[in-house]
Amino acid sequence: MNWKPSPCALAGLALLTAPIIVQAKIYISSEQAQQILFPNALLSKSPLIITDDLQERMRAASSIRHPFRGDRIWQSSNGGWFVIDEVVGKHEMITYAVALNAKGSITGVEILEYLESYGYEVAEAQWRKQFVGKTSVDPIKLNQDIQNIGGATLSCKHLTDGVKRVTVLYELALKNIPVKTK
Amino acid sequence: MMMRCKPLLGTFVEIVVDQEDCQIPIDRAFSVIQKIQELMGFHNPNSELNRINHLAHQKAVDIHPWTAQVLCIAKKIYRHSGGLFNCGIGHRLVAAGLLPRHITFSNHDLGGIEDISFLAPELIISRRPVCLDLGGIAKGFAVDMAVKILISEGVFSGSVNAGGDLRVFGESSWPIHIRNPRQPSELLEIGTLQNAALATSGLYFAKRDEQPSHLINPLSQEESFLQSRDSYSVLAKECIYADALTKVLALSQNQYHPCFKKFSAQAIRIAT
Repeated sequence: MNWKPSPCALAGLALLTAPIIVQAKIYISSEQAQQILFPNALLSKSPLIITDDLQERMRAASSIRHPFRGDRIWQSSNGGWFVIDEVVGKHEMITYAVALNAKGSITGVEILEYLESYGYEVAEAQWRKQFVGKTSVDPIKLNQDIQNIGGATLSCKHLTDGVKRVTVLYELALKNIPVKTK
Repeated sequence: MMMRCKPLLGTFVEIVVDQEDCQIPIDRAFSVIQKIQELMGFHNPNSELNRINHLAHQKAVDIHPWTAQVLCIAKKIYRHSGGLFNCGIGHRLVAAGLLPRHITFSNHDLGGIEDISFLAPELIISRRPVCLDLGGIAKGFAVDMAVKILISEGVFSGSVNAGGDLRVFGESSWPIHIRNPRQPSELLEIGTLQNAALATSGLYFAKRDEQPSHLINPLSQEESFLQSRDSYSVLAKECIYADALTKVLALSQNQYHPCFKKFSAQAIRIAT
């Protein structure tokens, strides 16, 4: 064990503080998530038009108000599904991928991006803009400077609701889509 | 460098390794954490932990070697902290609405971790009914196990962070930040860490999110929840000790509690 305290850490004085955005991390890209969750499988994009009715039923079942986007759905050659979605809370925005097998059971969840903020809504376009076009191979500066943060991380309750909404999407829509044959 | 993150143990678990092409080691590390969640989670009514809570006062219960390891260390820390660390407070967290209710306990005289005894290395029995919650120690254990897997899979250097319970390994020194308890949106740089673990407890978001305090004094019969907004961190060689000892620091309010020396740990308190 080797700890080099910063000079004022022991004194308990005001330490160097970093700016307002606490965490802004890009972990993996959508392609990388596909490889992790569906190794060696072929995925084809299967966008889905989310009708108002479907949107409303997904909202009711998962208590997430942020609308679901139907253009980030892929089907695997063996009938599984890969869906990207995000949860937007008052203080965080988390983009994540869910893998479902052909029967609709969750086989994996990966976090793609984790953005956390205070003081103003994370959904605010201005704040989001700085991440547009960034990928995990092009980490934003904070990614490199601030790796390890002790002290509470936001709980993953919102994410649990988000994953639930993807399973609802399966039940209401994906389930009835036949496997694409080439 | 590779970074991945999954929702596990009720928080976000992040694994960072200093090399490329480490997908398999990282996958294995995540599955170990998943396995620990299945064994020791309170939320899952079928976990081994809940089987212990249901049965251990009636008969001897066979347990997984990992659960045995955690219970054994929990007992040791209970002893050396004079009872300040006790996993037997599950029912009080249930009463506060922080954990789901699987069993109704109101008509029982509930015991604590001190009532659990080992009949064999992986066989336990309890003198009284218990409602154990490993929430204050299992995350640290999971971090340690993940690090162990990464190292055995040939990863030289990296870190595992489970919602603030973190451990770094390898030759590199990692800068470590702690949230400022006065202003959780700010970070304090506390120094660099090499081959060590750091865990932090605090009520950073409890007030904002209108959640009750999850830090309970097991020695007091009254509803005594910690209300201080300070931040309590402990550095140790292994994360299981760092995790459990933050509770001793928060409840004793004493950075020099003999428990820390006993487990070669160092306490850091950041006042609000």
